[in-house]
Amino acid sequence: MRLALCLVGLLLMGAGSITAQQPPDTTVAPPVRRGPRPHRNGLWGEFGFGAGQVRVGCSDCENVIVANGATSYVRIGSTVSDNVLIGFEFFSLLDQAFGFATGDTTTTAETGTAAIIIMWYPGRHGLFIKGGVGAAYGSFSVPTDSGGVVRADTSTGGGVGLTFGLGWDLPISRKFALTGNLSGFVTALGDVVLPGRRVDDVIATVYQASIGFTIR
Amino acid sequence: MMAPVVAVLMLLQVDSTKQFPYPPPARPLLAFGETILINTLVNRVDAWGFQQDWARSGTRAWARNLRLGWEWDEDAFFTNMFSHPYHGALYFNSGRSNGMGYFESVPVAFFGSWSWENFGETYRPSLNDWFMTSFGGITLGEMFHRVGATIRDNNAGGGTRILREIAALPIDPIGGFNRLLRGQWSAKGPNPPEHAPADYVLRLGGGLRFAKQFIHDSSATSMGTFLLDLLYGDQVGQAYKAPFDVFNVRVLLSTYGGLNALRASGRLYGKNLNSPTGRNRHMLAVNQRYDFYKNPAQSVGGQSIEIGINSRWLIGSKGFGIRTALFGDGILLGAIDAPGTGLGDRTYDFGPGAGARWELALEKHGARFLRVFSQLEYIHAVSGASADHLVDFGGIEAAIPIARGLGLSASSTIFGRTSRYTDGRTRDAREFPEARLLLVWTKVGFGK
Repeated sequence: MRLALCLVGLLLMGAGSITAQQPPDTTVAPPVRRGPRPHRNGLWGEFGFGAGQVRVGCSDCENVIVANGATSYVRIGSTVSDNVLIGFEFFSLLDQAFGFATGDTTTTAETGTAAIIIMWYPGRHGLFIKGGVGAAYGSFSVPTDSGGVVRADTSTGGGVGLTFGLGWDLPISRKFALTGNLSGFVTALGDVVLPGRRVDDVIATVYQASIGFTIR
Repeated sequence: MMAPVVAVLMLLQVDSTKQFPYPPPARPLLAFGETILINTLVNRVDAWGFQQDWARSGTRAWARNLRLGWEWDEDAFFTNMFSHPYHGALYFNSGRSNGMGYFESVPVAFFGSWSWENFGETYRPSLNDWFMTSFGGITLGEMFHRVGATIRDNNAGGGTRILREIAALPIDPIGGFNRLLRGQWSAKGPNPPEHAPADYVLRLGGGLRFAKQFIHDSSATSMGTFLLDLLYGDQVGQAYKAPFDVFNVRVLLSTYGGLNALRASGRLYGKNLNSPTGRNRHMLAVNQRYDFYKNPAQSVGGQSIEIGINSRWLIGSKGFGIRTALFGDGILLGAIDAPGTGLGDRTYDFGPGAGARWELALEKHGARFLRVFSQLEYIHAVSGASADHLVDFGGIEAAIPIARGLGLSASSTIFGRTSRYTDGRTRDAREFPEARLLLVWTKVGFGK
């Protein structure tokens, strides 16, 4: 609480300073001129595939469940500045041999994220750092045998997703590039209700290594 | 071992020329390195100074945290929704005070929080901490960076200069530290553009707050309250230049409960929808928002992105006008308390959501003297109860001038919440009306 009071007190001091400030100072140096950006420009798009690993934890889980699956993604966006891009990313992982318990590999798990992403190119090379936030989706289907008829009970969860990662644009022409990505997707899905089982506060974290094709 | 290596690497990026180049050179290595130093310092103070077992993390705890991954924590509402965002502002301003722009500093905030969650504690990394520290830190950090630059004055000298540097320290300690490192506490030079916002309205007030059920075991219905409102920049009169070139912040304190409300919203993007020279203005805006409301009767907060239109219609030639705002928002992660919510010791839920708000105000030279507003938010819990929460908040505020800069302000607000549970529990709803009467002082700097 003292921290909050201190903060407000200093805000007040700042306010006093606003009223006593000098006229705007115009003696600033001109901005540094740079050449054309070497990476993505204007409207750009990217799609790719790769391998992924999903790690699922929950509020009562003493350990995490780990499974591998195939991943795919699509990104489309525009440029904010020489070094910063903004875009949308759609990502999904599909694992057809998933299990919430040891030895249980009958569940099909699919997680997806639709996020707004920011990509930052710290230098003039192709290296970028990516981060984003958006909506997350998870679906878990368990085959059940009811009177000789096998059907799938599906439970879905929706929540919030974060993504982060890094990558490298390798130009193959003026308009196209190959892009390598290492990404993480953290998806908070809430409670997942399966037949005879309830898994609370599920968080699925997906790690992905992929190759993409970029139109820039 | 890590910290000394980082410190040596950082020294390579320290510039001690005592100059104020604009734009300042970006020093990403120094920025990221400072987040590691912040974490190391906080961790060692907790471990050695306060003998906290949770701070005695080492390679075994790091490996476990990385292996098990994210979980939801059980910290108090104030800790998760205010203290962590303030901590995140330190990370973000490691980037801003090392020449990095707003977007370039975003990964610095996320990295600082991620590394603390995985390496700074023996506890498993907390997903809600990562969210609140990073997103809240970005909102508060950019605001603190700009207010700090406004307080500091590179043209000032002597005792005034030192006082300004010290006054900015609690708001932007990392910026102050870097300036000290570069000898910029005394060197003279040009100020950055954010030093002098073209338009601002500052309102301070003190008075009484009236409500029922302030204190559960007491019959008290009134208490002292303090208000701070800052509008930095003009939402419709100012063309978009950079993130947070326009922002507003409201702080409400009470003699019981301390910090009651902290709401900050900064413009991430803006676009003129009609002629910028017209009398009536309409501007599309994308804002990043931070909300914190805490009373004995209610706790709600979160990090949001909103998109909508700010408009202004001028009336006559004496500076009067009507302002409207209509926004829809997405809550990246919100928190709310209700009966039966929470996890373990925690008494509130976390979840994403969406909502909308509108506002109608009468103003003179940018200062609102009558304001009507309403907001509706939906939060879907992903940690805590299996619940969906609906929050509505609306009210009216009026400020009557009584002398130059001084006025009386009266306001009435109603906070309502409805929670629906999907695990069979009955629906819960409650309302919380309150009123305020304050003596306010307003300073307006519009249209300079």
